[in-house]
Amino acid sequence: MRKRMLLILAYGGAALTLIIAACTPFFLMGAFSSAVAHAGLHIDAAYSGGTIARTYERHGYQIVVHVPVHTRALQRVDPFVQIDFKPVAALPAVVDEEVDLDGDGLNDVHVTFAMDRSPGAKLRGNVVALNDKYQTLMDVGADSFSQLLVNTGDEVVVRVPLNTESASR
Amino acid sequence: MNVPAPAYRTIGRSALLTLPIALWALLMFTPTFRNANRNQSIGAAVVILFMTGLFFMMMRTGATYRWRRIFFVALGFLFPVGFITSLIAERGTMSIPIERMVSGDTPFCFMVTPSIILPAAFARTVIFPGSILPSATNPHSIAVMIGLWFALTLVMGKAWCSYACFFGGIEEGFAGIRKRAKIRKLDPRLRLIPWAILLFVVLLSAAIYEPVYCMWLCPFKAVTEFPAVRSVQTALQFVVFIVLFAGLVVVLPFLTKKRTQCGFFCPFGAFQSIFNKINPFEIRFNREKCVDCTLCQTACPTMALSADSIREGKTLLNCMKCGACVDACKKDAAVWHLKGTEVGVKPERARLLFLYGAWGLATMFGGSILANSLATMLHLMHWN
Repeated sequence: MRKRMLLILAYGGAALTLIIAACTPFFLMGAFSSAVAHAGLHIDAAYSGGTIARTYERHGYQIVVHVPVHTRALQRVDPFVQIDFKPVAALPAVVDEEVDLDGDGLNDVHVTFAMDRSPGAKLRGNVVALNDKYQTLMDVGADSFSQLLVNTGDEVVVRVPLNTESASR
Repeated sequence: MNVPAPAYRTIGRSALLTLPIALWALLMFTPTFRNANRNQSIGAAVVILFMTGLFFMMMRTGATYRWRRIFFVALGFLFPVGFITSLIAERGTMSIPIERMVSGDTPFCFMVTPSIILPAAFARTVIFPGSILPSATNPHSIAVMIGLWFALTLVMGKAWCSYACFFGGIEEGFAGIRKRAKIRKLDPRLRLIPWAILLFVVLLSAAIYEPVYCMWLCPFKAVTEFPAVRSVQTALQFVVFIVLFAGLVVVLPFLTKKRTQCGFFCPFGAFQSIFNKINPFEIRFNREKCVDCTLCQTACPTMALSADSIREGKTLLNCMKCGACVDACKKDAAVWHLKGTEVGVKPERARLLFLYGAWGLATMFGGSILANSLATMLHLMHWN
């Protein structure tokens, strides 16, 4: 009896793998992908920049400020706040903006960079902190995940490191 | 006088058994014919013939490893051609700049999967600079690639490493060059290293919130994409990738005739071994027929056999069901086996049941990579 049960289970299992194989390209792969997509996962904020806090409208373009990203104890990325200037096509030849990052009505950083739209061009610019909550970055480009001024194609992403020393005071 | 061994099956019977795979291959590539340019259609047609032809030879000769290896080596060497060409066409370089990472455009590779598990499980955070959902700029999103990997793993278990992994074929190619191994004595403890690396990578990735294997240890970054060299750290990463690739994927396989990266390094391979436990197919040894000649042990590309395991009639957990031991055994002691059935009873049925699933998905997944790479090569040769 046990042997018979084992045989049924064995061939049942083998048949199941064949059914899974046959269904994979048509809907099973999609179903598994959908399950992953709906699992409530999100990309780590050190890569994605975190959620959006507020958006400022300018003449034809937007400045999007993200919620500050506070990284974990052993993470090698310093805490930062991300600012997006978009769309790239609408940005002026020279962007020179003071931005309120924390929404207190006072500007926190002064961002300046020249837009170079030639293919493969690397942006560089300055981010001057207007108070001690943020760090000043001079001639910043694609330096690190927390010190950044890059053109992603759709937007210019600027990441300003938080001044953790002032925060701890 | 050498008398050629009789064919395992007649041409007619082999063709009949191949028919489902031929129809499956046609089904898989029909959309390509509908929507493709000439190069893509040629690539698809070649792959249909290639995969069907190899399966026919498996049926005709009764051998598995020899024919599977042709597909697998082709996959290993053609995947980088298609991938690198698409990278260069899209961004002009193999390196991935930080701006592509922050915009979530890094294609997800299944080898990162073990690294992201703990943060995903406990913090719902994916520590990879890709995107969860596919986009126009990144069709190889995390959800798509994990969905694909999981479906294939349910069917194949650890056989993923010999029927689906688009990297393993590179070292299998280099391992097949020499007739005899130059280095024959390998410490059996080497096979524990992937488990150690897996543990190290999983824990360190969770601690520092970085895909450690991907950032520092993956030899295949040398033939796919790597972080753009813009600092001392990225330069060091690049050197590590090149050294690991040259050592583990080219030189050592050539000298040992083993898949050294897969057998002695790859943490994803160790992770994949766990799925052998839930897969109904395995290789077993009929002790009544076994004469302890160790031909199977010599043939095994990943040292998934030990004297003890053969005595127990089993392979080790890291067996990737490539069929090398079965093909090498002159006494028919090494057999394909369906768990729950008697060892050595109807082994060909177990082989067929396994091969239909594994080859079918290899045709779908690896076949589409091959077709794409062939189309790319034709395009580069200005065929069209």
